[in-house]
Amino acid sequence: MAGVAGGLADTLGVSDAFVRAAFITLSTVWGLGLLVYLGLWLMELDRIEDRVVEPVLPHQAYGLAIGFAGLMLLLGSVGWWPSNALVLTVGALAFGTAALTDRNMPGPLAALVDPSVDRPGRLRMLIGVGLLIGGLAVFSANVGPIYEIGPVLLAVALTGVGILVAFGPWVTRLARDLGTERRERIRQEERAEMAAHLHDSVLQTLALIQRSDDPLRMSMLARHQESELRDWLYGNLPLDGVDLLSTALKDAAKRIEADHQVPIDVVVVGDHTLDDSTRALLGAASEAMVNAAKHSGAERVSLYFEADDDELVVYVTDQGKGFDSGEVAGDRQGISRSIKARVQRAGGVAAVDSQLGEGTEVTLRLPVVAS
Amino acid sequence: MSARVYLVDDHRLFLAGVRAELSEEFTIVGSGYDVDTAIEEIRGFDPDVVLVDVHMPDGGGIAVVEGVLGTNPDVKFLALSVSDQAEDVIAMIRAGARGYVTKTIEPADLANAVRRIHAGDAVFSPRLAGFVLDAFAGAMPAEVDPELDQLTAREKDVLRLIARGFAYKQVARKLNISIKTVETHVSSVLRKLQLSNRHELARWASKRRIV
Repeated sequence: MAGVAGGLADTLGVSDAFVRAAFITLSTVWGLGLLVYLGLWLMELDRIEDRVVEPVLPHQAYGLAIGFAGLMLLLGSVGWWPSNALVLTVGALAFGTAALTDRNMPGPLAALVDPSVDRPGRLRMLIGVGLLIGGLAVFSANVGPIYEIGPVLLAVALTGVGILVAFGPWVTRLARDLGTERRERIRQEERAEMAAHLHDSVLQTLALIQRSDDPLRMSMLARHQESELRDWLYGNLPLDGVDLLSTALKDAAKRIEADHQVPIDVVVVGDHTLDDSTRALLGAASEAMVNAAKHSGAERVSLYFEADDDELVVYVTDQGKGFDSGEVAGDRQGISRSIKARVQRAGGVAAVDSQLGEGTEVTLRLPVVAS
Repeated sequence: MSARVYLVDDHRLFLAGVRAELSEEFTIVGSGYDVDTAIEEIRGFDPDVVLVDVHMPDGGGIAVVEGVLGTNPDVKFLALSVSDQAEDVIAMIRAGARGYVTKTIEPADLANAVRRIHAGDAVFSPRLAGFVLDAFAGAMPAEVDPELDQLTAREKDVLRLIARGFAYKQVARKLNISIKTVETHVSSVLRKLQLSNRHELARWASKRRIV
């Protein structure tokens, strides 16, 4: 029940049905079987799933059977014996049931008609049925008169028990097979989910790469797919549902990289949770990245984020054409003004440092407010 | 004389690409697809620089670096990988590699890195600079060797500029120091990274600092 019989059966290499029968028979001797069962249970002799069970050799099984019979005789001879009738009845019923419920057997009816069942198997089945009938007969002979149960009632009950014993194993086996099938189905669903994911992402990208003749676009596709697959495989999951600024910055960089076809290298040191003020930092950094990707003409853009105890700093650096802040008006000025305003509202400062022909660096600083 | 270079990577396609990119400037003495062959051939060829992939079966790049440095201590290693798992990269450096670059590096930058490694300098990609800053950040352990367990303010400045994507030349100009001085700082950081016993270095990757 607690897996003890199964564990012991695996260890001995015999069917667990017989081990259970032995326990039940032994229990009639002043509960000895129960004690042994409890003892083994405490020793945690559990059944191990998927363990390779060596097939039992016939002489080994006979040896165990003879050993068990000897043990019973020994118990009888030292006077540890309730009554022949009780032990024999229960023993016959238990082992008869065991013969019929043995997992390796196809069931009592099948055993008689199924040609694939070999002769020892059929013989065992017949002995099992014989033991059962014998046990039931002895039982009714002993118990019937004592309790004066109506013979008809007793016959009905015994027939019920007989049917249950004969067909019960077949029903339980069916249930077990259903469980195995369910596990297999779950496994298949997981596989299908993974296949679907790979299809939507990796295979799709590979198809796009094959159709594309623009090397830049090809490498951008590959790069985007690489980081996406990496996230899927080893992704840093948010800690307890808390969003991290580093993750958000990486996501933003990935998006902008895909939109504007310019690689963005992200380097992160330390981290901070994402809240209202750090979200402003994220927004400003994203704007700076878009700005660099769109206007600088640089081959790649760098984003560096560092968090320490007092301050969060973000640098968005490109080595593109740069601009002279005194002269360039319009769009770019507007953007750098909007970046500055955004960070200032959150309590930080932003600086844009650009030189013609040298590239541009946007620095965003935000003091960490002790919470 | 141009550097004699050996390549180790279990992805043959990538190997062929790198070989084509570097063969103009350097003498490619050979290449290996697996750890054992690579160790044996590097011992035989005794090249100046070995480009080694971090992730390979049978022990990976670390096994190659450790296997060779025992017998040929003058061989210089540059780790090359698609991995951006910090612990893998730091482990390579601690095993003895003198630099780390990602496989997405531009061919010209890769050639430059090989040249630098050949000259005895360390090569820090922006990403490696970030890893190192992260590794040396945070509270100090109880018994510290300030010589090894801490970066100087100047070294941190240099690493931050590298992490921001600047080349050594630009770093030098921004800090008003010579390129040679930048190289000295980077080499010193590399030495600390290899010798420091800050326990964070071993397990820092599992512990992300959240301010």
